[in-house]
Amino acid sequence: MWLGAYGPDTGNLSVLVWCLREREMMMDLLQEMGGSRMHYNFPRIGGVKRDLPHGFAQRARSKLELFLQRIQEYEALYDESTVFLVRTQGVGYAKAEEMVNHGVSGPNLRAAGVNYDVRWAHPYSVYSELDWEPPVERSSIKGADCYDRYRVRVEEMRISALLTLQALDKMPGGSDTYHEPGDPKILAKAPSRAPEGTSGYHHFEDSRGESMFYIAGGGEARGKNPYRVSIRSPMFITIPYASKCMIGYKVADIPAIMGSFDPCIGETDR
Amino acid sequence: MASSDWLDVNGWLQSIVGWSMDQTHDLLPNEEYGLGPIGSVNPQSGFSSIQPALEAFFHASIMCTVVFTTLMLTMLAIPYIERKFIGRLMDRLGATTTLRSLWVGESGATAGEWWDQLPFGIGTPIGWTINTLNSIWGNDHELETVSRVNNRSYHGYWFLLPGFFQAFADFFKFATKEHMVPKDADKVVFEVAPVIIISTTVMVFAFVPFGPHIYAANPDLSLLFMMAIFGVAPLGVFFAGWASNNKYTLIGGMRSAAQLTAYEIPLLITVLGVAVLSGSLNIIEIVDFQMGEEEGNVWNFFLMPLGAALFLITMIAEVERIPFDMPEAEAELVEGWWTEYGGIRWGLMFSAEYMRSYAACILFALFFLGGWEAPFQHTLSDLPFLGGVFSTIFALIPGLVWVLVKAWILFGVFVWIRASLHRVRTDQILEFGWRYLLPLSLLNLVIASYMRLELYEGGNWNLWVPAVVTTVSLIVFLVYIFDEDEEAARLKSRPYSTQAVVKASPGSHRD
Repeated sequence: MWLGAYGPDTGNLSVLVWCLREREMMMDLLQEMGGSRMHYNFPRIGGVKRDLPHGFAQRARSKLELFLQRIQEYEALYDESTVFLVRTQGVGYAKAEEMVNHGVSGPNLRAAGVNYDVRWAHPYSVYSELDWEPPVERSSIKGADCYDRYRVRVEEMRISALLTLQALDKMPGGSDTYHEPGDPKILAKAPSRAPEGTSGYHHFEDSRGESMFYIAGGGEARGKNPYRVSIRSPMFITIPYASKCMIGYKVADIPAIMGSFDPCIGETDR
Repeated sequence: MASSDWLDVNGWLQSIVGWSMDQTHDLLPNEEYGLGPIGSVNPQSGFSSIQPALEAFFHASIMCTVVFTTLMLTMLAIPYIERKFIGRLMDRLGATTTLRSLWVGESGATAGEWWDQLPFGIGTPIGWTINTLNSIWGNDHELETVSRVNNRSYHGYWFLLPGFFQAFADFFKFATKEHMVPKDADKVVFEVAPVIIISTTVMVFAFVPFGPHIYAANPDLSLLFMMAIFGVAPLGVFFAGWASNNKYTLIGGMRSAAQLTAYEIPLLITVLGVAVLSGSLNIIEIVDFQMGEEEGNVWNFFLMPLGAALFLITMIAEVERIPFDMPEAEAELVEGWWTEYGGIRWGLMFSAEYMRSYAACILFALFFLGGWEAPFQHTLSDLPFLGGVFSTIFALIPGLVWVLVKAWILFGVFVWIRASLHRVRTDQILEFGWRYLLPLSLLNLVIASYMRLELYEGGNWNLWVPAVVTTVSLIVFLVYIFDEDEEAARLKSRPYSTQAVVKASPGSHRD
């Protein structure tokens, strides 16, 4: 989705339509899994709601393989276009030290050469069992420009697809097993609400950086609601920093720089 | 020499107007009428004194109407081509899916094999062609194609040309909208700017011949006059941007003025190269030189491919399409200089934009692609056996058709460029214009002068000249594309960086 939105930012509409097609492909998979297009209501604390549907693994595999081929087409449209290169290279430099001090994380930071990915530095879930490396760009001494951020995101898409393929292969008991919703194997991992007096905190890698969640259980007095939920969204920190990167560039560079940080206003306001 | 074409609209009009004027002359009484102190008047002889002026007036106004109608009717195809072609490019669909999408609607609703419904069985070859193409390019399965086509939205009600009359609907939408002027705008200039833009755009077509006999005016220096008029509209753009009193429109207008300095000079020098090569500043004579039997007889495209490329690039900048559409960059400037316009003014200016694109396409066809000559017309007509057939066919097709077909295909190229390129920055187009386009256009002018003075000996071109020029240009182009020095290409691909990039991949980083 970021790649598609970056096309109109730099003046090319066709890549948006291309990306929406692939997004539709993935949305179909997610809808199959969670039941709706946007709010899946699928993950639970420490697990998921139900097992994957029948034949999901096979469909996901074929779609991911297609997606891996499509990434090459995007690269052809972007990387082989001199116009795109001159628009993004040497524009919007962001220094690694400044970004670390501001708390920017995720692909924006990795574009500047800092190899910090929560999945890699503090592995959770099954990430330690998979064979992978986070993509990190070796940027110039001035910092990461828009092109670096573009490159690292494209590599990230590729690695995400490879990771998913690996995870499907390594699924215990094979990827074709299916557990009914009432099966204790599923429910045991997923408590439906947080008990009173307990609290939990975790940080994980979002598509835009490091997210942190804190939850305190509310108990019977508050019904189903927890006592407190606190979220640290990466965009809340990145957007103020992105505005600092624009100093000294032209008006025409504003969309290119802002877009390269992958801003999501809805995510900022949490 | 003049080119022959049976669609002699100018000649027909001249004789019709002349005949009716003669009739009027004869109907008037041929006697003296006393007018008291003034003297006396004879209506017939009085009419004869103003008859030439009247004839010229009627002829010119009817011809203007004809040209304008031709322009408007054929321009309907331009937004249609853009919409269809860009949709296809964005969808990456197959070649025949493009054809089939013309009659496949939403959820697989098709008009069926519509060619069977045409009278006298004239649709049979159409159906045969489509089925054959489908089987060759792997689109023979109807359901597959339908589902691929349905990735796009509804294709319209009128199955033969769906979307064609969208332009009418848009026009009526704009015509019925309210006209609003911003509170702080400079109201006089705000109203004058659209008039400047639209009137100069329409005026361009006064000198653009659609065919050898379809033109509104044909002065000796039509090329110069037309290029001058072509350059007025950016001034109106600047007025509009300034008068709207809005920061986006102001930046857009300023960018338009800055862009003007980048492309206008290379454009004029390139056109000068065309004029030198053809030895005329009249558009019709330029075309005649490319198709004449006694002289020339080679399309300028094969004589100066460099000039054609330069003309294409500068014309895209002139009509402000992607990748040179900074004045209206929608990502950074909302809609640039026309942010504050609405209603019919916006609609007319938008159509003026397309008119300029259309004029650019027609001019390319006239300057470089032989105008109203069929491709390889003389070569095909001189073939030993089929020559007669070809010359009959070419005699039947009016030159208007060739001009329009060439212009539409060129507009397809414009759309293709738009779909595959990003937008450049203002400083980058200035750098591009002054550092590359200007020296190349001067080089083009030198080559054109040399060819005209040294290689052209009157009469037809020696065929080795276009052959050598085209081959050399093709080789240079191919060498430029397939640059084998990968190290240099890698360094060049990142001109602003202090350090070459290593692509990130699993394994390239280890803590």
